[in-house]
Amino acid sequence: MRRNPGLWYAVPLTLFMLAFFMAPMVVVGWYSLMPARSFDLTTEFSLHNYRAAFAEGYDRPLMWSLIGAALTTVIAGLLAWPTAKILHRHAGRWASLVTALIALPVFISESVRLFGLSVFLMPGGGILAGTMNALFDVQIGTFLNTRFAALVGMVYIHFPFMLFPLLLGVAMIPTDRVEAARDLGAGRWAVLREVELPLAAPGLLIGGLLTFVLCLGANAEAAILGGRAVTVITAAIEQRFNYAQDWPMGAALTVLVIAVTALLVFPVLRRIDLNRIIRR
Amino acid sequence: MTTSPPALSLTGLTKRFGTLSAVDGVSIDIAEGEFFTIVGPSGSGKSTLVRLLAGLDTPSAGTLHLRGRDITNTPANQRPTAMVFQSLALFDHRSVGQNIEFAMKMKGVAPDARRSRAMELLRLVRLPEDFYARPVTQCSGGERQRVALARALGSDPEILFFDEPLSAIDYRLRKTLEVELKELHQRTGKTFIYITHSLEEAMVMSDRIAIMRMGKFVQVGTPDEIYRRPANRFVAGFMGEVNILAVSQSSGAPVFADLDLPAADAGGAYAVLRPESLVPGDGKALAFDALVTQKLMLGSRTQYHLRAGDAALIAEVGAATAADLSIGQSARFGFSPADIAWVND
Amino acid sequence: MTAGRHVLWLKVLWVCTLLAALYMPIVSVLLASLANSRYMRFPHKVWTLDAYRAAAADYTTVSLHLISLQIAVFVVLISVVLGTLGAMAYARYDWRGRSLFQKLLVLPIFFPQPVLGLALLLSMSAIGIVPSWKTTVVAHAVWIVPIVTLVISIRLFGYDVAQEEAASDLGASRWQVIREVTLPALWPGIFSGALFAFLLSWSNLPLSVYTSGADTPLPGWLFSRTATNYSPLVPAIAVIGTFVSGFIVLALVILQRVVASVSRQRTG
Repeated sequence: MRRNPGLWYAVPLTLFMLAFFMAPMVVVGWYSLMPARSFDLTTEFSLHNYRAAFAEGYDRPLMWSLIGAALTTVIAGLLAWPTAKILHRHAGRWASLVTALIALPVFISESVRLFGLSVFLMPGGGILAGTMNALFDVQIGTFLNTRFAALVGMVYIHFPFMLFPLLLGVAMIPTDRVEAARDLGAGRWAVLREVELPLAAPGLLIGGLLTFVLCLGANAEAAILGGRAVTVITAAIEQRFNYAQDWPMGAALTVLVIAVTALLVFPVLRRIDLNRIIRR
Repeated sequence: MTTSPPALSLTGLTKRFGTLSAVDGVSIDIAEGEFFTIVGPSGSGKSTLVRLLAGLDTPSAGTLHLRGRDITNTPANQRPTAMVFQSLALFDHRSVGQNIEFAMKMKGVAPDARRSRAMELLRLVRLPEDFYARPVTQCSGGERQRVALARALGSDPEILFFDEPLSAIDYRLRKTLEVELKELHQRTGKTFIYITHSLEEAMVMSDRIAIMRMGKFVQVGTPDEIYRRPANRFVAGFMGEVNILAVSQSSGAPVFADLDLPAADAGGAYAVLRPESLVPGDGKALAFDALVTQKLMLGSRTQYHLRAGDAALIAEVGAATAADLSIGQSARFGFSPADIAWVND
Repeated sequence: MTAGRHVLWLKVLWVCTLLAALYMPIVSVLLASLANSRYMRFPHKVWTLDAYRAAAADYTTVSLHLISLQIAVFVVLISVVLGTLGAMAYARYDWRGRSLFQKLLVLPIFFPQPVLGLALLLSMSAIGIVPSWKTTVVAHAVWIVPIVTLVISIRLFGYDVAQEEAASDLGASRWQVIREVTLPALWPGIFSGALFAFLLSWSNLPLSVYTSGADTPLPGWLFSRTATNYSPLVPAIAVIGTFVSGFIVLALVILQRVVASVSRQRTG
């Protein structure tokens, strides 16, 4: 056998990621240290943009994105846990069909699905309101164009990203451990707290992390469903880049989002053995 | 003497899966402090039965009383019983100490009291006290067995169930743990209900043994009774290798058809004869010519496979006995009518 | 016993509600496309396929699909090549630095996509590249290549390396081992990786929106149109686009079955 070829196989992918993932991060980081509205990369570094970001109130969109991501993660988790338990418990043909049906919409563009949600919720002639009016002669209002609608859209889009890792997590709970806990006097909540959640933790963490991070950058939900009720951080960055032509400020905001992401992703990835989950 | 109720009383206990009765109307009283073992081959329903007893499944019919109290529909977490699982089902995400304290934590026992009790239990199952903080994933097979036992004892159960906990363990460790379990039973005085597929294991430890087959108890008795007076060929065969000789009445007087020997005083349709009851030579009342077809050295004994008439027989001879036969050799073998156990089916 | 029955019904109800909620918006798009009015007034006075006729006649529909297809095809090619090689490094060989490689590889998956798109846009602009469908291919690939690598790795984890040793023991050369043993064993993983890549690229909105410049693909166009003005043409094109992707995937699956059975017969 020659030298271990693993390294050689890794080279193309590594170069690709360095060029198109790592390098852009560096460029963004560099721009964030440039003077306001500059289009050149120089060595005159300053933290001006970061101070300005807070002074000009860009902490608010960041806050909204964080709150939205946190709420979505919690709600999606609460919805996904019983679903994962049911699908695992009744594994078989029906469960596989349901799982496939839940997975399918992921491959339909989120602009299509969010558009559908807005058509469904539209006041007056929307699918829901129109049907209620035609069938029961009831006029109903709508929560379209509110922060709540944006949240509903986020949960709707990101539910599968919570569910599928959680399914893997739930599959890591051996039935006999739950039975042993019950046999030793544990009630429903104690079983959940002492046995099920710790054993499913890898799946729960991955699902939660994925949901949170994806939601952190999500802006289509706010744009299509939220109306003008809320400005999320991505929308703010886009506004700085495109309309204000202030690349360094946009870059500084981007770096803030990347920092929050890194702060969450690195500790979790260090703790979790992804291989073990993938191998299953 | 008062007539205290039995520790556990089963009446017509039944578990059906579709049309199959995994447990089929089992009734038995198990006395306080008894070591009661249920033995059966895989698929006999013994594991289903112990799950009913522990409350992990609900019976389709029948009742279950613990010290006179009806617990038929009491869920597992409200029964004063504890089980040692076949897989042990240790909580791998917790330390040895946390495993042992689990039931006490569920009951709301204070941490200090839990800890001191856990230390007592570690001593009881012969584990060093510094195991308390060790992750269970770092324990060897035998240590895990002891942790599982201590965890079950930690709930201070009135009855302990064992679902084949020693089945996946190598021979020598199993022998050690069998003895320890028996001693632990004597020391704690608790009622033990033990499930195994090994009658040999049951013999070593039990006060009473129930042989289970197709959801029913075929025979219940002390180890001695099971050994000397098996109820039928199934029980006799369960003990290990035995010779079973059919008795024919067709020619008037009963004879062992295959050996062409008279079977005077036949007590049943079949004679069960243990390998060690077949001895070489003409010394026994009933003797016959046999051909040695195989010879296996078993250490302290030698096993001969014999062909005599239409019968294939097994004899085991102590290594100290002088007779040393070789394959292909013809020899006389015999047995005494007193060594026969008679069964009818 | 009856309690168990109630619980079962509750579970069925839960799952059905969930599926209804997941599909209601998709059904809504379908319903909305069957109108001809300028404003959404459900239930429609006239149920019609006019919007589909209009979409079919409109060159925009064709060009949107061509752009999406162009992007997806290149993303599939890039991610299958890089993903297969990457999976060998991820799951097949044990080498120094593998665990670091494994952890770094998944970073783009755990990354807010629109932010990735914006970061790429800024970097490309900085070096004077005008955003087009080509930059979108790169943006998609950064996110999709790691996913395809993981999909192929799952296959590789279940692969017995001794097969390769057996093949070379039987006289196969290095290249023959790869062609006769490794690639056929990996093929199911590569094929599903390719399908994943196609579907994810076709449906992706957040990466396309900031990187495609003038070459707007389907999801980006839909996004901008839903945000501005409404007409039944929008849901009609959404439905057509979704069906086209489903049709392409189905065709690929059938093609792969046919090719597999033909090659089996030829060797068998």
